[in-house]
Amino acid sequence: MTFEPRIVGFLCNWCSYSGADLAGVSRIPSAPNLRAIRVMCTGRVDPTFVLRAFELGADGVLISGCHPGDCHYAEGNYKAMRRVALLQAVLKGAGVDPARLRIEWVSASEGEKFARVVNEFTARVRALGPLKAAAEPVAAAAD
Amino acid sequence: MSDAKIGVYVCHCGTNIAATVDVAAVARFAATRPRVAVARDYKFMCSQPGQERIQKDIARLGLTRVVVAACSPQMHELTFRTACQEAGLNGYLCQIANIREHCSWIHADREAATAKAKALVAAAASRVAHHVPLEVTYAPLNPATMIVGAGIAGIQAALELAETGRDVYLVERDSTIGGKMAKLDKTFPTLDCSACILTPKMVSVSHRKNVHLLTLAEVERVSGTFGAFTVRVRRRARYVTDACTACGACAKVCPVTVPSPFDELLGERTAIHKAFAQAVPNAYVIEKQERPPCMEACPLHQEAAGYVALIGKRKFKEAARLIRQRNPLASVCGRVCYHPCEDECNRGLVEQPVAIQHLKRFALDWARAHGVTLAPPPVAARREERVAIIGSGPAGLVAANDLALKGYQVTVFEQWAQLGGLLATGIPAFRLPRELLEEEIAWIRALGVRLETGVRFGEQITLETLRRDGFRAVFLATGRRDLVRHDLPGLELAGVISGSEFLRNVNLGTDPHPLGRVVVVGGGTTAVDAARAALRLGSPVTLLYRRTRAEMPAMRGEVDDAVAEGVAVRYLTSPVEVLGAAGRVTGLRCVAMRLAGPDASGRRRPMPVPGSEQTIPCDLVVMAVSQRADVASLVEDGGFARTGWRPVAADPETTQTAQPDVFAGGDVVAGPSTVVAAMGYGRRAAEAMDKYLSGRPLTDFTTHLVRPRNLARENFRPHSYAPRYADTPRAPREPMPRREARERAADFGEVGTGYTEEQAVREAQRCLHCGVCVECRECERVCEPEAVAHAMTDVVEDIPVGQVLLATGYQLFDARRAGQYGYGRLPDVYQGLEFERMISSAGPTAGRVLTRSGRPPRAIAILHCVGSRDENYHRYCSRVCCMYALKFAHLVKDRTDAEVYQFYIDMRAYGKGFEEFYGRVLEEGANVIRGKAAEVVAARGPLAEYGALVVRCEDTLIGAFREVPVDMVVLCAAMEPQADAERLKRIFTISQSPDGFFLERHPKLDPTATFTDGIYIAGCCQGPKDIPDTVAQASGAAARMMGMIARGQVAMDPVRASIVAERCSGCRICNNLCPYAAIAFDEARRVSVVEQALCKGCGTCVAACPAGAIEGAGFTDEQIFAELEGLLAV
Repeated sequence: MTFEPRIVGFLCNWCSYSGADLAGVSRIPSAPNLRAIRVMCTGRVDPTFVLRAFELGADGVLISGCHPGDCHYAEGNYKAMRRVALLQAVLKGAGVDPARLRIEWVSASEGEKFARVVNEFTARVRALGPLKAAAEPVAAAAD
Repeated sequence: MSDAKIGVYVCHCGTNIAATVDVAAVARFAATRPRVAVARDYKFMCSQPGQERIQKDIARLGLTRVVVAACSPQMHELTFRTACQEAGLNGYLCQIANIREHCSWIHADREAATAKAKALVAAAASRVAHHVPLEVTYAPLNPATMIVGAGIAGIQAALELAETGRDVYLVERDSTIGGKMAKLDKTFPTLDCSACILTPKMVSVSHRKNVHLLTLAEVERVSGTFGAFTVRVRRRARYVTDACTACGACAKVCPVTVPSPFDELLGERTAIHKAFAQAVPNAYVIEKQERPPCMEACPLHQEAAGYVALIGKRKFKEAARLIRQRNPLASVCGRVCYHPCEDECNRGLVEQPVAIQHLKRFALDWARAHGVTLAPPPVAARREERVAIIGSGPAGLVAANDLALKGYQVTVFEQWAQLGGLLATGIPAFRLPRELLEEEIAWIRALGVRLETGVRFGEQITLETLRRDGFRAVFLATGRRDLVRHDLPGLELAGVISGSEFLRNVNLGTDPHPLGRVVVVGGGTTAVDAARAALRLGSPVTLLYRRTRAEMPAMRGEVDDAVAEGVAVRYLTSPVEVLGAAGRVTGLRCVAMRLAGPDASGRRRPMPVPGSEQTIPCDLVVMAVSQRADVASLVEDGGFARTGWRPVAADPETTQTAQPDVFAGGDVVAGPSTVVAAMGYGRRAAEAMDKYLSGRPLTDFTTHLVRPRNLARENFRPHSYAPRYADTPRAPREPMPRREARERAADFGEVGTGYTEEQAVREAQRCLHCGVCVECRECERVCEPEAVAHAMTDVVEDIPVGQVLLATGYQLFDARRAGQYGYGRLPDVYQGLEFERMISSAGPTAGRVLTRSGRPPRAIAILHCVGSRDENYHRYCSRVCCMYALKFAHLVKDRTDAEVYQFYIDMRAYGKGFEEFYGRVLEEGANVIRGKAAEVVAARGPLAEYGALVVRCEDTLIGAFREVPVDMVVLCAAMEPQADAERLKRIFTISQSPDGFFLERHPKLDPTATFTDGIYIAGCCQGPKDIPDTVAQASGAAARMMGMIARGQVAMDPVRASIVAERCSGCRICNNLCPYAAIAFDEARRVSVVEQALCKGCGTCVAACPAGAIEGAGFTDEQIFAELEGLLAV
């Protein structure tokens, strides 16, 4: 049986969550591995959310928000982008492949792009395999 | 939390969810989750029975939390929250699990979809246990509204909203309201006249007291929130005030015509114009694009483009008057200005710059020849302050003129007997006739300026004596002279003279000795002038220059003239010794030079060629090599600093020296420069002295300093209607008629004789009218109500409103992009709006359908779907084209004898009366060919007998390739989003669909709202639509807005941040993070505080707080951690 990763998606309310809704309304199929959590803005995504997701057994985390310049709250997506860069460095230090954390820009009108991002990221995480050994150091970092 | 009792309700949504997700299994699973008291599945949870099920369970089982697993929270979150609220449970204790859009609709594998649905339900159940009751708060709503875009959508909405009696701001970037609909001739399918139904509405808008019409206006920024927006609007200057009565006198005298955008560039209009007869507001407007570079380049800011345009319209008197208003030495400039304007002229990018200087001379010569008196500008009220000006050169004369016009008592002191400074002493009469200079000095004298000659600064007068005599300010404009002595043996011999001294002697007639053989050394204007002057006095003249012709600083034409007149020029030759006998010059020993690498000035450095010495026998050596200001007296008297080429230190901006009452400008400050540069200094100094004497700070100058960075070529383009440089027809510059070389070398008369009227008009018409308005001020002159205001500037306003409607419309697809149809290349291929103007009786052809060559077409082809329904451009259907194409067919049939061919893919006649109209046009005899046209080409061979163009297509009904000869082609170009739609999207933080049109909140159920509360959309900015649909949507949006106005308040989502003071460490990280500046630091308590009214609930600060002191209501850390736990429990 092939490995089916579990991926947590933090989607901003205005762009990416609506983009995911549009993918649904348009019946654009995508991999069932992504489970979405709605936040008002990607700026709300606390780095501990990501670490906790990995700790709880997620194999990948996707953060998706409005395109640069389009943030409903002016610049929350830039804050998210900066945090992801730092987080990836932390993950690397903890022995987790930083490719397991991805940030994407999907607008409310990009249903097709949302599906493509989910499929691509799922394939990437599937290729990386399950996240096992890294769980303990990540948990330590979270505290 | 631990005592939470959760009810979970899994919706089938008919088969929408149930077909892919095993809803019963999800409900069974949910029942096993902690704290879940009941879990049910039901066919339609959103139905009345579904909602009642929840309410009953709340009542009977005492549920304290609810999870509904159904569609997106964007759809029914409010429904279920309200249901809970009605049953006595706070709505925020209900959580939605999105198992439709995010699950059943995008997955096919039932097992995987069910597993995911379980995870989503577990997450929601886990999260909801941590929910706390939240209360919606209310904020007052500003009843004022703003509508952006005043086409038919904006007009309709404005009229509807005006009924509330509240303020409505209608923002339009054009000079009139009406939008695209105002351009249409008839409207399908009823064929009522567009103007007839639109213009009453336009007038009605202007009559509503509470509709504030902001034309020429664009939104720059939006701040605030729903109910309390502040919109920053920039209103571009109209240059015409409200006093305008729209009499139209201005347009009759305007010399500039450009293609009219209202007529889709098929017709023309003047620079001051009204877009169309029924424009609202009913007032003229001046179009100014970038300021013409000729004016920017001129230190005097002379309106070159203005007088050139007037000459082009044979308004010679007006041209001369315009020149004279700004330039007291106009004739002088017409002769000896080095015309920086021409260097920057955009016509130079086509072939050669417009001969601006020759045209200026022409206008003034014409005025003089026709006895036209050119009145000086009006003199301001008399001022008693006396002002002294030292030096009567161009800087001094302009300063004297300007100060006299400002009312001051001006005295000019000139050391020589002749007034005019360098103009009189340095420039020979064959370049500047003396009577012209005297005439212009007489003009200045007539303003009341006292001109005293023979007074040398430092001898008869000093700063001390001037101050003692009551002069309140002094302008030093003593210019330059004096030879920089070379270290050349023999310079002490009689018969060696500096270039400027030689010219002064010739000009003043003070040294008329026989010259004999003359050698002039130098390559500048002085050297060439000296050589030509000596020639005119009868001497054989040799000009020595140490570099080549290419490096010569003198103007090329002057050098050519000198050679033609007989001056022998020896390039690459440098003097080494002046030879003499008995104290007099007998010859000049020279050496040949060669050019080595560039020196500090960038010119190639001449190096002597060893062994090439030779002797030129001569009687007079004129050393015209370098000049420097004679400042000995200034330095001794005033104690001014001097360095290098800047002999007197003065502030380059203000011309003020270290002594506040002494100003300096022209060559004495800047070093050797040009006549017009010196005049510019004089003008600047006059303004500075006026400010100084009036006690105002020396800032905010209205006069002009030319800065090279202003003149970077790429910053200047001819206006947007001019053809590209490459497409502009070539027209060479008119040559200046001139006297024969032999004839003119014999006297001191002028070389050029001036343009004829025909030449001047031809030359003037080469002007591209960069900037459109050329500031000739003719409109100002004829406007009786004095409504023209060239000095008007843009105004930026912050307007508070509660709600905003965007009705910014569409633009047409640029048919050039579909090159196969020949638009922009073949003369008689038009796009829809162009044809609309052509068939309009108020259009450029007064409604006659004519080819560009003026003939009625024998056949017209109308091509549907240009740029729409096309994978290469836009995939969407533009919706209105089929019907307006049929309308065109009807109008052509109605008004001409031409055959009409429609090339269509599918005929879309879905609206009320559309199909009937289609039938009617078919009956009228329009030919319809089913097949997308492949290309339009120029007709060749036998087909050319029947039409100038050929449309090629595959007729899919008969299955054959066809070539249809026609004389005219009309392209139904697609409606597409405005070019700046993306800019507006960002300003209003809304979204665009993939096609670029603004995104509505729901494609079916909420077509007028956006995802941003308080921002609505209507009309073609949302997607292509016809007039009835546009009006309906606009009315709908207005009704939405009115509903809010009636309610008077805005519900504020409780999703907001707050800071727990006990946990806040006062680090202030959050203070700068908030994009709304909603977090302030309380200095007394040393903690940060969130201003609740400003917080929009993004949560960025919550995520950033290192102490975890900020709580984001509705999205707390605990809630999201719990959601994660549930999500990953399966």
